[in-house]
Amino acid sequence: MTSDRNPMKNAIAFAGATTTGFERRNTTRSQASWAAEACIDAMRQCDLGPKDVDGLCGSWPPANELQAILGLPEITWFENPPVPFINHVSAAAAAVFAGLCEVALVWHAAYRQPWNTAGSLKDPFRAAAENFPAVAPSPDTVMHAVGYTAWASRYMHEFGATKEDFGLIAINDRSNAARNPAAALTHPLTMQEYLEARMIRWPLCLFDMDVAVDGADAFIVTTAERARDMPLPPVLINAAVHGMVANNEEDQIDGLAHHGQHIVVDSLKAKSDFWIDGADVFFPYDGFSIIALAWIENVGYCGAGEAGEFMRQYWDAESNSVRLNGKVPFNPHGGSLSEGATQGSGHVREAIHQLQGLAGDRQVPGARTALLTPGGFFFNAQGLTLIRD
Amino acid sequence: MAEADEELLERFASHSVDRDNAAHFRGRLNRQLLINRCGDCGRWHHPPKPVCPGCWSTAIEPSEVDGTGEVHLLIRLHQGPPAPGVDYSTPYPVVTVELDEQQGLCFTATVEEGDIAIGQRVELDWIERAGVPVPIFRLAREVSL
Repeated sequence: MTSDRNPMKNAIAFAGATTTGFERRNTTRSQASWAAEACIDAMRQCDLGPKDVDGLCGSWPPANELQAILGLPEITWFENPPVPFINHVSAAAAAVFAGLCEVALVWHAAYRQPWNTAGSLKDPFRAAAENFPAVAPSPDTVMHAVGYTAWASRYMHEFGATKEDFGLIAINDRSNAARNPAAALTHPLTMQEYLEARMIRWPLCLFDMDVAVDGADAFIVTTAERARDMPLPPVLINAAVHGMVANNEEDQIDGLAHHGQHIVVDSLKAKSDFWIDGADVFFPYDGFSIIALAWIENVGYCGAGEAGEFMRQYWDAESNSVRLNGKVPFNPHGGSLSEGATQGSGHVREAIHQLQGLAGDRQVPGARTALLTPGGFFFNAQGLTLIRD
Repeated sequence: MAEADEELLERFASHSVDRDNAAHFRGRLNRQLLINRCGDCGRWHHPPKPVCPGCWSTAIEPSEVDGTGEVHLLIRLHQGPPAPGVDYSTPYPVVTVELDEQQGLCFTATVEEGDIAIGQRVELDWIERAGVPVPIFRLAREVSL
C-alpha cells in the first residue's frame, strides 16, 4: 500500500553538491581518491571542517575507509547502502531527521570495473582487484542488467515502438551533455550513428547503455534549519520513495504495466507537493534507454508506448533535445548515457545545481522544483522531489 | 541415487545453486524441468523459494512441467560470458517462456534459432553442454487435430 504520510517533508535539505567530473578512460587514480576529492570539495563548499560532519553515507569506498582517509574525528551514524543513489539520499535524510546525526556527508564514486566494462582490465590494478569466478556464469538468463534488454524487446512487441524511439533518449542526453563540463561524452550524436552503433544485446546497442566512467559526486545533507546557515541556498527534500512489487525477478514481473516504477509513482505523487505540471526540470533515469522511456510514460507525461511520439512532439530543433512546453528539459546534464554511469548521483547533483542556480550554460531560468526518478523496473525503482527553499 | 551436494555444485558451477533450488538442478540431470508447486494451494512459483508466496505453506513440491508455452521475452546476445559451444558471432538467442501450467509463470532458457519471435508457441528439449543437460526451447511442432 502507498500513503501520503511524509513527516520529513521539507525538514531535511541538501546544503551543497559537488562533482569531480567524469572520464571515459581508466584513470591512474583509485576509486577512493575520486570520492575523497568530491567529499573535500563538498565540505569546503558548505564551510564545514572535519569536526562538523557526524554522519557518513556511501558505497565505495565504505564509510570506515572514507572516515579514515579524511580524518573525520567523530562519526555517530554511517551506512554503506547498495546503489542506486536514492538509497543513499533516503538513508541520510532519515538519519538526520531521526537525530542519528546532524550533518551527513554523502558520496558516490563511479569507477570503471569489469562488471561494467571489459576495458577496465587493461589497468593492471583493476584487473588484480577483480575476483573472477572459477567458472563463467551461464548465458541462458535475463537476470541482472540483461533484464532491461528483454523488456525493451517486449516494449517494441507490445507497442510497435522503434529503435528511433530509443535513439531519442540517447540523442537528448548527448545534446545536453555538450553544455556540461563534467560530462564524459560531449560530441554530438546523430540518429544515423545511433542506428549503426554496435549491437550488444539485441535490441539494445552501445548507445542504449550507460557509459562506464571514473569520477565522483558528493553531497551535504542536514536539517533545513542548519542548511540555511550555510553559504548556498538549501534544496529541500520534499519526498523520497522506493518502489517494488512481489514478482520482482527480471523474468517474472507481471509486465510493463506493473513493476517498481508504478509503486514509486503512486507513492511519490501522494507524498509530494507537486507533480509533472509543477516540475521545472525532470530526471528520468537512463542507465538503459528503455528505463527512461518507461519513466516518461509512467509519471504521466504520455500514455504507455507513446514516449517516442511524445519526445518528437516536444523536440526542440535548435538544442536537438526535448524541451517540454518550450522550457522543461529532461536530464539536462546528459544523464547516465552521456555524463556517465553514476547510478543516479549525477541526476541528483544536477537537480540541486539547477535549483541553486549553479547550472551554468544549462541553467533552467528560475528553476524551483525538480522531479527525479532513478532506478529501473525490478528491485531498484526510486523517486525524489526537490524544492528550492 | 541422488547426486551428492558437492558434485551437484561442481556440475552446475555456472549457476548459483543453493538449498532452495538444488532440487531443480538435480532434475536437470534427469532431463526433467522441475518447478516448485505448493502442496497446499497448488500455486506454482519460480525461481524456487522456501515458502509458497501465495499461502506461506512450506509444503513445496518440485514438480515436472510439460515445458510447453509461449515466448514472452526474446533477446539475442552479441556478446556474453564464455560458454562451451556458444559462439556469439551468431547472436545467441535467449527466451523467457510463459509456461502453460499457470499464467505469469515464466522460465528462461536458450532457444533453437529459426524464426523465433515473441508470441510463438514453443516446447522444451534438452542439449548437452560440458557434460550437463541444458534446457532449450524450440518452436512447437504442428499439432494435428
